Amino acid sequence: MPRARHLILNLVTWSLVLLIAFPLFWMIITSVKPQSELFRIPPTWLPETVTFEHYWRLLSETPFLRYFRNSVVLATTTTLFVVSLGTLGAYSLVRFNYRGRETLAMLVLFTYLLPSVVLIIPLYMMMVAIGLSNTLMSLILAHTTFALPYALWLLRSFMEGVPKDLESAALVDGATRMGAFRDVILPQLLPGIISTALFTFILSWNEYLYALVLVNSDAVAPLTTGVMSMLISAFNIEWSLLMAASVMMSLPLIVVFAFLQSYLTSGFGAGGVKG
Amino acid sequence: MTAIATDPPMLERRYARLGVVLIAPTILVFSLVIVYPLLAAIYLSLFSIYTPTLQGEFVGLDNYAKLLTQKAFWSSLGTTLIWTVGTLSLQILAGVGLALLLHQNIWFRSLARSLVLFPYFLSTVVAVLVWRWLFNDLYGALNHGLMQLGVIDMPLDWLGSMPNAMIGVILVGAWKYFPFVVIAVLARLQTIPEHLYEAARIDGAGPVSRFFDVTLPQLRSVLTVIILLRAIWDFKEFDLLYLLTGGGPVTSTQTLSLLVYQEAFGLNRMGQAAAYSVGMMLVMLVFMILYIRRTGRES
Repeated sequence: MPRARHLILNLVTWSLVLLIAFPLFWMIITSVKPQSELFRIPPTWLPETVTFEHYWRLLSETPFLRYFRNSVVLATTTTLFVVSLGTLGAYSLVRFNYRGRETLAMLVLFTYLLPSVVLIIPLYMMMVAIGLSNTLMSLILAHTTFALPYALWLLRSFMEGVPKDLESAALVDGATRMGAFRDVILPQLLPGIISTALFTFILSWNEYLYALVLVNSDAVAPLTTGVMSMLISAFNIEWSLLMAASVMMSLPLIVVFAFLQSYLTSGFGAGGVKG
Repeated sequence: MTAIATDPPMLERRYARLGVVLIAPTILVFSLVIVYPLLAAIYLSLFSIYTPTLQGEFVGLDNYAKLLTQKAFWSSLGTTLIWTVGTLSLQILAGVGLALLLHQNIWFRSLARSLVLFPYFLSTVVAVLVWRWLFNDLYGALNHGLMQLGVIDMPLDWLGSMPNAMIGVILVGAWKYFPFVVIAVLARLQTIPEHLYEAARIDGAGPVSRFFDVTLPQLRSVLTVIILLRAIWDFKEFDLLYLLTGGGPVTSTQTLSLLVYQEAFGLNRMGQAAAYSVGMMLVMLVFMILYIRRTGRES
């Protein structure tokens, strides 16, 4: 390729990439600007002074850490629950023959597309009836509604990628089905399980609607509704504080992106977008 | 062990039983948190229920009669379609465009890909907070950036007036969800055999005609799946619209998901809300069946 064309291609692509990433940079820049600099017109594109006071205030003066803990508990429990169920379920859906198996797979796909607002009214009434409203448990159950179909669907296509011969060979050697599952399939499936777990965790971490409807006590609020309530309750919206909260809330995601990104991209191929 | 192994039908039956045992917990949870609520939603749509007390009475098909005769459902459906078509077209255009660029051999390609990918995994709450700060009419970076570039003379009211509010949510939706298209298209681009391009080049095809004659036909099937899937997801989107505009100004950006929420928890009419949600699901069913049939055929 001629040098000039290559240069133009690079410049065009990188300008677009930076434009797309601009809101993310702006989030970080705003979070380290002192309050006095924030309401400058026109805004300073790069901060003149850098301060971490908003992060300090967020952690010491707001319930942010409690929201964060709630979100960690919620997303971790949902992930563990859904991935264990899903792994067994996917093994059954892919490697066993019984009546109704295909129908079940279609039902999973159907629920994967279902809008949450259809389920939210009955789920709300159900949680009130069994006395679970305003608990993290209600959110874990509610998150299962979208996380389980998603995890099953993802794990199902990862399971299809595990060679059948490996399992047959183990069976010929005298292993039981569950023995072969543990010793042969699980190790092969591990990257798929990690990928599914990451997706499930992120889905649960980011979920807003169920938290909005099922939990109205500040003590059990996860980050999504908790941080939004900081926006609504404040008389003067403190954008620096909110941007610091946004950065902190994205921390798990940044960690995943830095170290485990290949698992995210492999999950995409499996997630029903194979053309 | 050997005695069982020599009796295939019996082994088959044992395996089938094990298969059912393995799927049983999933079926149980599914029935409890998805199938039962789904059927309950249809059942509840035949009642008139007051949300704070959850008490109500049977009203038959009244809620559906209201859905058909009153304006709320239909105008929300219209809004939903405008939002879906608007944001989906932008996602596809930006997604395919950027995938083509990122497929080239550019500097720091994996960093560029990460930066483009990031918004998709970002919490909608974070995305909305950042964009509401960007859209801020007094101190927002967007208005000042556009003014410094000379595109506008006066700061715009982005989310509080029409049609700006609709344009705003469509833009943010496109920004948040187009990376999905980028990843799916990039994956497909890598599998297009190089010799197809060689052949086209020998026939004297330029970059533009190579795109239309080679790339686009190869992308057709993946694009169909992406469009169906994203259409379904955009159609049911709640968080982004609710948090950006709350459906406003008045009801100009109130899509069906927001209408259901507002009816159930704002106006305390749960039965009517359930009827709206069933109606919404019926509209979506067309796309869902199309997608399921396509995916079923491939696997």
